[in-house]
Parts: sequence; structure tokens; C-alpha cells
Amino acid sequence: MSETPGTRSRLQRLSELSPAAALGLLAGVLLLGNAAVQEPGFFIDQAIGGLVYGMILVMISLGLALVLGLMGVVNFAHGALFMLGGYFTYAAMASYGLPFWVALLIAPVGAGVVGIVMEVIVLRRLYGKNPIIGLLATFGLTLMISEGVRFVWGASAVQPDKPAFLTGGTDLLVTQVGTYRLFTVVVSAVSVAAVYYLITNTDLGLTVRAGVQDGEMTEFVGVNLPIRFTAMFFLGSAIAGLGGALRVVEQGMDPGVGQDLVLLAFVVVVIGGVGSIFGSVVAGLFVGWAQFLVPAVLSALAITTGISSIDVTGIGVLVPFLVMIVVLLVRPRGLFGEEGLLE
Amino acid sequence: MSGHADEQASGGGPGGGGSGGDRSGGGSGSWFSSGTVGQPSLFERYRIPLGLLVLVVVLRPAVASDVLLGYDAIASKMLIMMLFVAAFNLLFGYTGLLSFGHAMFLGFGLYIPAILVQNGLWVLPAGGNVTFFAGVVLAVAAVAVYSYLLGKLIVGMGEIYFALLTLAFAQALYFIVLRDWWELTGGSNGLSRGTLPDFVEQTRGAISIEAFGLSVDWYWVVGVVFLLGMLALWQLIRSPFGRSAIAVRENEQLARAMGIDTTRYKIWAVTFSGVFSALAGVLLAIQNTGVAIENLNVFTSGDTVLMAVLGGISYFFGPIAGAFTWLFVEDFLTDFELWQFPLSEVTLVTLDLGDVLAYWQFFLGALFVVVVLTAPEEGIWGYVRSIPGWLRDRVGGVTR
Repeated sequence: MSETPGTRSRLQRLSELSPAAALGLLAGVLLLGNAAVQEPGFFIDQAIGGLVYGMILVMISLGLALVLGLMGVVNFAHGALFMLGGYFTYAAMASYGLPFWVALLIAPVGAGVVGIVMEVIVLRRLYGKNPIIGLLATFGLTLMISEGVRFVWGASAVQPDKPAFLTGGTDLLVTQVGTYRLFTVVVSAVSVAAVYYLITNTDLGLTVRAGVQDGEMTEFVGVNLPIRFTAMFFLGSAIAGLGGALRVVEQGMDPGVGQDLVLLAFVVVVIGGVGSIFGSVVAGLFVGWAQFLVPAVLSALAITTGISSIDVTGIGVLVPFLVMIVVLLVRPRGLFGEEGLLE
Repeated sequence: MSGHADEQASGGGPGGGGSGGDRSGGGSGSWFSSGTVGQPSLFERYRIPLGLLVLVVVLRPAVASDVLLGYDAIASKMLIMMLFVAAFNLLFGYTGLLSFGHAMFLGFGLYIPAILVQNGLWVLPAGGNVTFFAGVVLAVAAVAVYSYLLGKLIVGMGEIYFALLTLAFAQALYFIVLRDWWELTGGSNGLSRGTLPDFVEQTRGAISIEAFGLSVDWYWVVGVVFLLGMLALWQLIRSPFGRSAIAVRENEQLARAMGIDTTRYKIWAVTFSGVFSALAGVLLAIQNTGVAIENLNVFTSGDTVLMAVLGGISYFFGPIAGAFTWLFVEDFLTDFELWQFPLSEVTLVTLDLGDVLAYWQFFLGALFVVVVLTAPEEGIWGYVRSIPGWLRDRVGGVTR
């Protein structure tokens, strides 16, 4: 079901824009250009910030989209797995004194194992049932995980020290960017690309997708489907855990992060289109950028026009939701979604 | 469907063999079961209003007794939350639409009268009684328009989309209130000063209503509003509207084939649910003598879902049972330090549970998962309902 026509036809579809959409794009480019000219330093800062944030979002929503598109389960607990990844990293680094690299390995594996336990005990009973029940059950799991985290690590935010070799800044002409942020972007880009490749271009991905389309027939030709679904779940959880590990070092983590971010991940999946992995990658980056660049654009516009009331403070957090509302009004199935899925 | 006033077209609780009908389907296939019901007696027909009345009369003395919580201030909060969760369940249990952002509707009732009373408007003085009622009317009108438009926008996209979109809209509204661009909502501090109209009197933490020279205890005012609200909900559910909504939930395609405009019914269900939720919000703002932004966040919405499902969404009394259990457990367990068995005088076993029970939500979460996996529509109330039948089967004489 996740199989969408190749990249070329996607590009073709994008080229069939309506005049209104083309006009919107043009306006967007102009506004961005204006922001880049007015405050280049601030603009680049925000662009990098949006990229980092967008990559983290992609890492969460990729797993969410995987589980949703492949197994038809809305995994509300996915944000909790992300959070667990962060806390595992913190525990490994701060409590056990392990180096960052080891923690970066422990976090995804730990989150993945928790994900497997969840899948085997709870979610396996939900395949093929009403997706609402899956949403409710995983919501209960979220509650358990956040309370568990609160029990073990307390309610206040935690943050391990940054590894020494990543603390500095990197000069990018007009501004300086923390090396760690660039590191985050690289790691997440590599892992997202790897997962994407695994699903679209390997035997494992092929059999899983076949199983989604016709489970009975796939098992008939000798594919062990349950174990493959579990493997996919591990993959989705692990990549979320890795995202958590990357974020905890930079931003810290508290027990509420899971629910906040899973919500944004849902927004991303809805914008990208349910069932499309490619869509969730694009939408994740888009939402990340939108959240950071809209304030920059508005601030630049306020300077250009001289109307200071345009520069609304804190509009950023609202942007993902506004984008989603617009997307749903214009194109209800999302940017790259298939029609009829989960409807 | 004339005169049928059962809690819902469900044939007896689970295991309630005896005289009740058996439940068809359940589990993976159809969501909810249906059964056949004969012509009910007068008592049968009005047992829900009677039950509500008994609840309002009994609740406060019950929770105030030493066996339960030992203080009565929580009773009125329980009633308010019951009304709120019941309004939520009109949408989830009866129409089949899961709203994951129901706190936003509550927020309309919380904020609009409070803002109006605090600031006054034009001929309406700040703190005036008329201002407050104008605020209530405005809140209800605003929430009706908002939820109608929201429903129109998102109801056609399927259940999961509905859940996620309500969540997203609620979050957007939360951020707007938090940012407080127009300096009305108090941002993260909420509203605490001057939000109450003149007729609300506070004496040493207890609230009473002064009107026409009379002083009425706040609990009874809540009780009356609760009764009126719940009766309206009950009437709504047993009216042709409610029956059509149930038909939409049971089998949307069939309902459409039979000539029910399913989208329209869903939109109106959202609207009604929003209005009743806002009503609960108005009460909650007075109950808390102010507005806290925590009542608008995603956790409040989540708790609403938890309460309804724990209580049992198939039943009219399910949300009531769920809200009661939730608030009771919250209050009971967080104050619970030592667990002594069998009695404190002749203690055999003493466990210090205070540390563990502070994390009571973990166990409620676990219970919730079990409920969802085993019997998502039944909950606590379904279990309670099944006890008489179970007893009758085990203890009663064999008549066959």
C-alpha cells in the first residue's frame, strides 16, 4: 500500500500545479527571499534550526507512518518511544558514564526492544480491528510509559553533557552553527535514508508490503509475516529512539515530550499523506522549516513594511496546525497520500 | 423505537444471561451489539432520570463519609466532570466519533464567561450577574458555531482523522490561549481574579450562590444544572436524532442507504457535544474560582477519553462511573500512605504504598489497556451491570 509511483511521476505530479498553487509558491519564495535579505544571520539560524527540528520530526513520523501504513495501527505510544530513547541515552551517559557513541547505540536498541514488547503483548491483537481501538490501547501505553519514566527519572527535565568533540561551532559565512546540530542532521539523514531504502528496495520491505496488500496469500507463499511485522515495528521504534537520543543531548527531555511530539508527528503524517513514507519525510522537513521560518519571514516583513504588528511572537508553534488545516482543506488526503486509506 | 428508554439498544450486560438477551458480535467484528427489547414498564422507562436523581442526592454524603474520602468538596467537581464526560460520550459512545481534543469545548465555557466578567463590555459591568449570563450565552453560541464549523470541516474524513484532527485543533487553541496575544486569557497563569459574578459567595473555601435573598449551597446548584444537562442528553439520545446517531455508529453505509444523512448527523452530534461540554466548563470555572490553562491542555482531553472508556462507553451511566472512579482513585490513592491488613489494630501486613501509588496513573493506564483489549465498549459499568445477572444465575432458583 505504501508503494507509490516512482520519483519521476511524483515530480511530474508536482509540475501539474494549478495557477493558484503556483502563485502561492511564488509568494512564498518572494517572502523567503525578503527574509534572507533583511536578516541573513537570523534567517540562516532559523533555517538550520528548522532543518534540525524537521529531521527529528521525520525520524518520529517515519516510524509512525510505517506502522500506520503497513499495519493500520495508529501508534499513539510512538512519541513515548522517542522519549524513552532520550532517557536511555541520559541514563547511559549520566548514570553509567558510558561514552556518547555507545549511548547512541543503546538508545535505539532499547526503544526498539520496548517497541517489540509492546507489539507482541498489545498491538498484535489489534491488527485488522477498528483502528480506534489501536489508538486507545496505545494511548494507555503512553500513559504507562510516561508514568514509568516519571517514576524512574523524576518529573523534571534531564540533559546529559554534550560530548566534547561536538560542543564547538562551525562557521557558515554569515553565522555560526553548533557542530552538534549539524551532526544531528547528518545522523538523522543517514538513518532515514537507510530505512527508506530498506522498505522500498529490499526483500524484507517487499515481503512486508506484499503482506499488507494480501496477508493470507503472502503467508501462503512461505513468508513468515508476524516476525516481519515485528521487525518493522522494531525498526520504527528504533529510529524514534535514535531521534530521542539526538534530541536529549541538545534540548533535554521531560516526561511530557512524548505526547507533544507524537502530536506533531501525526500532523506531519496527515500533511504528507497517510500511507506514504516519502510524504512523511517531505512533510516532516516542511513542518520543521515552516515552524522556524514563518517567524523569520514575518519579522522581515515587519521590517520591510514598517508594520510591527505583523511580527507575532510565538506564532511558530501554531504553524504546523495551520499548515495542516490548509492542506486538509485543499487536498484532504495529504500531499502524497493515497485516496481511501483509513477513511 | 417508541417509548424505549433503555440505556441503549443493548441487550443486557455481558454474562447477564438469565432474562437479558445475549450480545451478538463483540470483539473484532461489529463494534457494538444490539438486542431485542420488549415493552418496558414505567419504572424501566424512567430509570435513568431516577438514577440521576438518586446519584445527585447520594453522591455528596457518600464521598463525605469516612469510609470513602471524608470530605465533600470534591462531590461537585465529580458531577461537573460527569456531565463533561457524558457530553464527550454523546460523540464517542453514541455517534462513534472519537474526539481526542474535547478540552477545547470545555475551554469555551471556562474562558468566555470568565473573560467577560473580568473585563466587562460596553453596558455590561465587570463582575455583574447579567454580564455572567451574557457570557454563558455567548460561550454557548460561540462553541455551537465553532463545533458546527469544525464538524463540517473534519467529520467526513474518517474516524482516525477525526481523532487526530480534534487533537490538533485543540492543541492550536491551547497555544493561542497560552500565547495570549490580546491579553485576555492570562496565558500560562490562567485567570484567577475577578472572574466570578457577584452572586457567587466564597466563605472559607466553600462556595454558595446568593440570589433573591437566599443562600444556596454550590453543590445543589451544580446538581440542578447537572440534572438538567444530563436529562437533555438522555432525551437527545432517545429522540429520533439519537437513534439515527446510533445507526450511523453501528453501520454507516446501511444508515446512509436507509436515507439518513450521516454527515449531517455527525456534524450535529459534534455541535451538541460541544455545547454540553461548554456548559460543564462554565460550572468548572466557578468550581475552581478561576480558570487554569491546565484544563485546556492535551492531558485533560486524554483524561476524558480514559474516563469514558474505563466507565463504559456503551452505557448512559458509563461516563458517570468512569468520571467517579477516576476522580475517586486520584484523590484516594494520592493520599494513601500505608496499606494495613486486616485492620490497623491487629495489623498482620503493613505495606508502604505511598511511593508507588503516587504513580497511580501507571496502573490506571494498565487497567485501561486491559479494558480496551478485552471489552472496549463495556468498561466498569458494563461489569457492574453484569453482577446481578451473574448472581441470579449462580444463587437464584432454577426455573427452567
